[in-house]
Amino acid sequence: MDALIVIWHNLDYLLWGAFPDGPLGGAALTLLLSIGSAVASAVLGALLGIALTFSRGVVGHALTLVLAFLRAIPVLMLIFWTYFLLPIVFGLDVPGLLPVMCALSLISAAYLAHAVHAGILAIPAGQWDAGYSVGFTRGQVLRYVVLPQALRMMVPSFVNQWITLIKDTSLAYIVGVSELSTIASQVSNRVMIHPVPIFLFAGAIYFVICAALDWAAGRAARGFTQPA
Amino acid sequence: MTTLLLSPKYLHWMANGLAMTAWVAFIVIIAATISGFLLALARNSTHRGLRTLATAYVQIFRNTPLLIQLFFWYFGAPNLLPESAMTWLNTPHQWPLPGITLAWPSFEFLAAVFGLTLYATAFIAEDIRSGLRGVPGAQMEAGLSTGLTHWQTLRYIVLPQALRITQPPLFGQYMNIVKNSSLTMGIGLAELSYTSRQVEAASFLTFQAFGVATLGYIGIIALIEALSQFARRRAALPGRA
Repeated sequence: MDALIVIWHNLDYLLWGAFPDGPLGGAALTLLLSIGSAVASAVLGALLGIALTFSRGVVGHALTLVLAFLRAIPVLMLIFWTYFLLPIVFGLDVPGLLPVMCALSLISAAYLAHAVHAGILAIPAGQWDAGYSVGFTRGQVLRYVVLPQALRMMVPSFVNQWITLIKDTSLAYIVGVSELSTIASQVSNRVMIHPVPIFLFAGAIYFVICAALDWAAGRAARGFTQPA
Repeated sequence: MTTLLLSPKYLHWMANGLAMTAWVAFIVIIAATISGFLLALARNSTHRGLRTLATAYVQIFRNTPLLIQLFFWYFGAPNLLPESAMTWLNTPHQWPLPGITLAWPSFEFLAAVFGLTLYATAFIAEDIRSGLRGVPGAQMEAGLSTGLTHWQTLRYIVLPQALRITQPPLFGQYMNIVKNSSLTMGIGLAELSYTSRQVEAASFLTFQAFGVATLGYIGIIALIEALSQFARRRAALPGRA
């Protein structure tokens, strides 16, 4: 009972941080960070996947190597790199949110690139020939014939990757971005005696976000496959 | 040139961190493979209650962040466990093993191994389960019809085939365990990521500190990849790639 009162007293802070009197934080910032990184990773992943499919020789090898590198290192390590390098490269003080977003989108994009690559390869060659025969250029066949079909097959890969991404936003804790995990540990440290309900509550919020995405994607996928 | 390289003192710190990462990952890989296998069997059990419990476990552990789970075990354990158990965990113990003395690990280490294992179990169970599903049902029937018992059929007919299907994703999970072990710096375990931050803070050699740690992770991942290739070649059926 005592534990529920602790969560109730800190509910506003856990959900949106000091907002509107201060910067946005908590679950709201987790959502914002997730959506921003998810969109960036989808765009970058699609571009890298297309590049992976059509580049040959040195460029192709270099791209494969970079993607392998991104997939081999922990997300945390890439957050360190972007967190300490971005200010040096741009020579200005960037807020902690941006490096975390960069790291999360880059790693997710590396995984998605392979999914997009596999999706494009799975489209039968006849679709390409059909596109060329009506006078489309290669770019047009890709844009109007191949990608719409390939993307449909990729929905599960994208959703799985985004669920991983939502969970990985918690790593922003390490560089002190005030998203849900950081706020939860702050509250826990301040209250001292109720870590169990506080982390259970934080875990439940992540669970709801991830499960909701999974559920929505399942519904969307069923809609896709139903005959028009 | 001396400022470009890490001094032996810092390299020694990093080596300790690398050893800790490898040690934690090794224990978790063994423990999670066993518990993941048991969870996969529970997911396929004919007992309905057991199946529901196993499904709930997978859902909860896969859909919440590992960092929150580690916080939960590390900060929550003192409230969840009786005081005597916490005292026991925090006092050094020794087992009289012939020839070697094992140092009792810190509470950070215990919480890290426990949390990582529970998390990885959910993922490994799903990979093993899809491996089992990949073996046609007729194989089981064929085994039973030759007079083998259910367990014998599982042991000698179904599992060898299922493991061959599961092997590549299983090694992928082992790589994830290595990468995920970096999160244990969040609860203060002095593994590779933690020591790289320490070295960075002490020496201001940002590039070198993170560079060495990054190479360390790539080294372990490459080693697992090599083991995976080796295992695949050994398990390959004659006449098939």
